[in-house]
Amino acid sequence: MKISELASKTGLKAISESVDKIIEGVYISDMASDIITNAKANVLLITLQTHKTLIAAANLIDVSAIAFVKGKRPGQDVIELADRVGIALYSTEDDTWTLASKLAKLGIQ
Amino acid sequence: MGTCNHKWQMTDIIYGYLVVQGCPRCGDRASFFSNEPAAPIEEYMEGDHFWAHLGSSQATKFNLKCTECHEIVHLDDLVGLMMSTCEEPQCYVANIAKSEGKMTSVYVALCSDSTHSSGKCISTKGIDSLNEYFNQNIKTPGKKILVVPCNKCCSIDMCKGIVIADVGLTEIY
Repeated sequence: MKISELASKTGLKAISESVDKIIEGVYISDMASDIITNAKANVLLITLQTHKTLIAAANLIDVSAIAFVKGKRPGQDVIELADRVGIALYSTEDDTWTLASKLAKLGIQ
Repeated sequence: MGTCNHKWQMTDIIYGYLVVQGCPRCGDRASFFSNEPAAPIEEYMEGDHFWAHLGSSQATKFNLKCTECHEIVHLDDLVGLMMSTCEEPQCYVANIAKSEGKMTSVYVALCSDSTHSSGKCISTKGIDSLNEYFNQNIKTPGKKILVVPCNKCCSIDMCKGIVIADVGLTEIY
């Protein structure tokens, strides 16, 4: 499923414009060291963390998009870095569990 | 032998701390990986060095294993990876990033001898296998990861980047 379609079905709000990539799965983590050892390419990363380190880790793995939960929003420097490496950023007021449940109902796990 | 089209996967993954230390006598800096429950902060003597704790962050360490030929590349000398954002005109890393173009992200493989006083850095085999591993998993057309050893940086102080480590997650401010 494309990110744009997924976003409209789950209420994710785009923080930045980016390539409308395909999402093949979901990974939930707040730790960069965990992301580089366990996440896979083309996943949607769900996280609370808004630090630049997360973008550096996600880019290395070729994560498609990042969804910040609980209304978290990264700084402009983080948005610019994500834009530069082609990672789409989204935000939601949902908590991790609620967003993950919505994605599971759509068959994305 | 030597003809395998390697398919690397991470193996021997351990989680711990990247500990950075400095010697106030000579200005050398070094780092090491610790898998102790808490990051060691003790100062200690090592030859002429007096190593003082400068900081630590949660990080991970791993080796790479080929699922085809079962070769294992030990990355004992690798203590971390840094996404380069350096723009210093005299820096090799900055220049190679510029010449590679927008679709390439350059990552610096950090060795334990930050100031390279020993003359050693990450092995060529280690760098090659890291490049193969990260690029084999990329699905975005045209995207490339380029891993270079940290002895290519212009300076430990001036070369800018984002170290992949979880800084501050064990602290409350």
